[in-house]
Amino acid sequence: MTNTWIVAVSPQISALIDTGRALGGTVTAVVAGTDPSRFLGVDRVIAIAAPEGVPAEALAPSVASAVAAQAGDVVLVANRPSERVLAGAVAAKLGAPILTGAKVIGKETAEISRYGGVTQQTISLAQPVVLVVDGGTAPSGNAAASETVQAEPYAATVTSTDASSVAQVNLSAAKRIVAVGRGFKSEADLQLAKDLAAAIGADLACSRPIAEGSGWLARDRYIGVSGQHVAPDVYIALGISGQLQHTVGMTDSRVVVAVNSDEHAPIFAGSDYGIVGDIYTVVPAITAAVK
Amino acid sequence: MTIVVAYKYAANPQDASVGSDGRIDWSRAKETVSEYDPVAIQVGRQLADAAGSELVGITVGTTAANSSLARKGALSRGLDRAVIVADDAVRDWAPTRVGSVLAALVERIGDAAIVLTGDASVDEGAQVMPTVIAGYLGWPCFLEVISVAQTADGWELVQAHEGGTRTIALAGAAVVSVTTDATEARTPGMKDILAAGKKPAEEVALADLDAAEVDLTVTAHSRPATKAREHQVFSGDDAPAQLVAALRSVGVL
Ligand SMILES: Cc1cc2nc3c(=O)[nH]c(=O)nc-3n(C[C@H](O)[C@H](O)[C@H](O)COP(=O)(O)OP(=O)(O)OC[C@H]3O[C@@H](n4cnc5c(N)ncnc54)[C@H](O)[C@@H]3O)c2cc1C
Repeated sequence: MTNTWIVAVSPQISALIDTGRALGGTVTAVVAGTDPSRFLGVDRVIAIAAPEGVPAEALAPSVASAVAAQAGDVVLVANRPSERVLAGAVAAKLGAPILTGAKVIGKETAEISRYGGVTQQTISLAQPVVLVVDGGTAPSGNAAASETVQAEPYAATVTSTDASSVAQVNLSAAKRIVAVGRGFKSEADLQLAKDLAAAIGADLACSRPIAEGSGWLARDRYIGVSGQHVAPDVYIALGISGQLQHTVGMTDSRVVVAVNSDEHAPIFAGSDYGIVGDIYTVVPAITAAVK
Repeated sequence: MTIVVAYKYAANPQDASVGSDGRIDWSRAKETVSEYDPVAIQVGRQLADAAGSELVGITVGTTAANSSLARKGALSRGLDRAVIVADDAVRDWAPTRVGSVLAALVERIGDAAIVLTGDASVDEGAQVMPTVIAGYLGWPCFLEVISVAQTADGWELVQAHEGGTRTIALAGAAVVSVTTDATEARTPGMKDILAAGKKPAEEVALADLDAAEVDLTVTAHSRPATKAREHQVFSGDDAPAQLVAALRSVGVL
């Protein structure tokens, strides 16, 4: 019987619970530093309690001690920064592999996409394995029996928080996406893409350098191996070269469109429709054609 | 006190070829100091200069990681010295096992106050190595850190967090992964490369370190099916109109 251990800070773990249910064994959530009552739909909750102001990362040793995974069990962790820290502590404690990119998780084996998705490996789950995967949404179901363990945290405190002024976006459900890359020369020029997005009712996304480095869009809008994974009906890539670290995040899109001045840009190899040209003239023309 | 940066000598899978059996041929992909690691080295340089301490790079890789080119590549970025494990045996190791060896190198250095890493390696891109190193060291770990400053008893970190930021004060040593834009990585000049040739790089044998036993059994490889695409390129003045018509005809607009 494959039992599932879920390590979580945020209750956005519905996908992990679904996997655990499909595997059939007991599903235990080890919850670090947050209210355990929101972790519905699992069989058992182990709450690692910590004083106010202690970041979840500081609870790593207590979390690792609570995960008593046996041979054949899997440990599932949502791919979010605080939770990855806990996953690493669990992997070190168990001497277990820690892998991202699991596509299929079965009772005996898992299929893992590796190296930016260029290859897939089937790995044995005979030994405990820590799998870092998309967490999903808030779960539903019954509240589980919960036990509380007082943490012995590392000496770390959150001294201040500067909340974002922009609301977090979840692009995974978007039907249409207009994505911008370094082909745009200035932040103001993004208006061309925003106009197209508005005309077709699309969400705006980007390649990583536009969010990190340029800082023109929020970090939760970049697509790729380290960013969002999306599968819209249509993905329109404007001035994006199509490095695999980007395309791995959008390769499941139904229809892909690319506009790029370089006819050899790798993005065209994964596109249904393309225009080789300058985004500064082509994008406004597409917007006009839509209208 | 020593500031340590863990870096990886790795190739971009974009440049590798994959056989129909799913096995990767890396021979045409050129290894370099992984794209984001120079940012961590530069953050480390600033901290080391501020504290008047030494900046030591550590890496665990195949024999290529200890080539003259690899050593210069890392040392020219601003390290004072490097401690290198270079053994082809690690090629197929589980990341957890590699992390245990990196942790063993940190312990060997002895007085490390912080271990910095880049955001992710160009080949795996998994963003987990710092967390494993921290697990083995028994140190706290923080990812997506925008800035690092030393305090009387430890470190103050500003971390990207849920769209905003938060500041964390911690006592003692830590493993910290910095964001890709935490600082601007310096491009080494000729002088840096020449100086790098004179900096010490020590190779440590795997056998002299305590690597964790981690069982990762790969039972099959396969090449993922890629979605068939239309590959239709529109040209001419009415290309935008043709594109819109095509998108309407397939029902996505
Ligand atoms: C570990 C790691 C993780 C990464 N993770 C991600 C990730 O999650 N997401 C991500 O996106 N990237 C990621 N990257 C970065 C990635 O490798 C690429 O560097 C990045 O995606 C490139 O962004 P870009 O296409 O916008 O820019 P570029 O590669 O610079 O491409 C710009 C494109 O714009 C075109 N162009 C320029 N001017 C015009 C014009 N006027 N009209 C039309 N076209 C024009 C150019 O021909 C070019 O193709 C990662 C890298 C590493 C090492």
